[in-house]
Amino acid sequence: MIWEVFRQEQAGDYHTHCGNVHAPDREMALLFAEIQHGRRKPTNSLWVAPQEEIGEVDTEDAEFGGTTDKSYRWAQTYSFEAAAEEVAESENEQVQAEAERQRGDD
Amino acid sequence: MDIEEVKQRAGPREFSPKDDLPEKYRKAATRMIQFHANSEIMGAYLERPFIREAPSLDRKLAFSAKVQDEIGHGQLLYRAAESLGIKDREQMLDELANGEGKFLNCFHYPMDSWVETPMIAFFVDGAAMRRQATLKQSSWEPYAHAMDKVCFEEGFHVKHGEAILYELMTGSKSEQERTQAAFEKWWPRIIQFFGPTDDKSTHHDFSADVGLKTMTNDELRNAFLNAYIPKAEKYGLEIPDTPRIRENDDGTYEVEEDDLDWDEFFTIAKNDAPGSHEQIGKRNRTQEAVEWVRNSMDGWESKSAGKTPQAAD
Repeated sequence: MIWEVFRQEQAGDYHTHCGNVHAPDREMALLFAEIQHGRRKPTNSLWVAPQEEIGEVDTEDAEFGGTTDKSYRWAQTYSFEAAAEEVAESENEQVQAEAERQRGDD
Repeated sequence: MDIEEVKQRAGPREFSPKDDLPEKYRKAATRMIQFHANSEIMGAYLERPFIREAPSLDRKLAFSAKVQDEIGHGQLLYRAAESLGIKDREQMLDELANGEGKFLNCFHYPMDSWVETPMIAFFVDGAAMRRQATLKQSSWEPYAHAMDKVCFEEGFHVKHGEAILYELMTGSKSEQERTQAAFEKWWPRIIQFFGPTDDKSTHHDFSADVGLKTMTNDELRNAFLNAYIPKAEKYGLEIPDTPRIRENDDGTYEVEEDDLDWDEFFTIAKNDAPGSHEQIGKRNRTQEAVEWVRNSMDGWESKSAGKTPQAAD
């Protein structure tokens, strides 16, 4: 059976999908993942999951973020005064997310 | 999705196992990736004896790591090929063992002497890496993902090969002469790595149209010659007179195709050269020797249905 492999480069990072391996059980899947995906690339931790256990929904099936104008939802809509540092940071993230979303629409 | 839509959408990493792709695309991609996977495996077998033959502990460690890497690349690529749904890994490994599976021309020649190692590890791997770097843009996403990891590892292979070449070409007179002789033997094969010129290549048009590959044989051969002729000369190798290679004013190279032995090339392409039989046989025997391992794992998988067994209380 096929096991999907997720690698975390450093403690605190997200586990990111990096490939998959053939293995008859979880223990060997971890061993093969270690050899195949953890030996050369920087690795702090690996996850394996049976391929058939992975669920997915993508842009073909869903409208992530809805279909209506949600500008009222974003910090950048409400600018009066310079915001506190952590608020400005949050706003930056939202500005980037919105730019990303618009790139995706093109 | 029909072929026209595939051609229209074709771009880097555009298609994944989620897409409903026409059989023609999936077959073309399978053929290409299976060839690539087979080549990784056969290259590893060719270099494996040099773990033992290495002249120093450093070289031994490096060759051992390189052979491990190549086998790993084969595994990655068989997964990328399997995910197209045409063949499974078992079938591709069987085809490689029974002589149906095709692989790179350079791996059909025996490699007998240490002075030959940079011919593969520097020139052939350098040529392969040139090609692989462009395949990061392949339209089959699992293939492009595999290339990320392959290229990450391959840089060491090429530079290690270059280090061996440097060492040999700054070594004794005899080492230099034997290295030059090995280079003359391998040079035409290395040029043929990129196949015949584009007008003779049968598979290119479709694979290019659907984005499986992004550069033609001619472009890749040129890019390789541009980078590696100066390197060979820098290390004191003399480029053989044949095949004749002309440098054009625009920096491109033209290889006199008739100077190359295409009968040999196409015999190799049919897995029918003496070296083909030897290399395929060697790998076949190894596969048979470890069949019990695969069988016991398969048996375990069907018995345990993938579950990790509970520890006995």
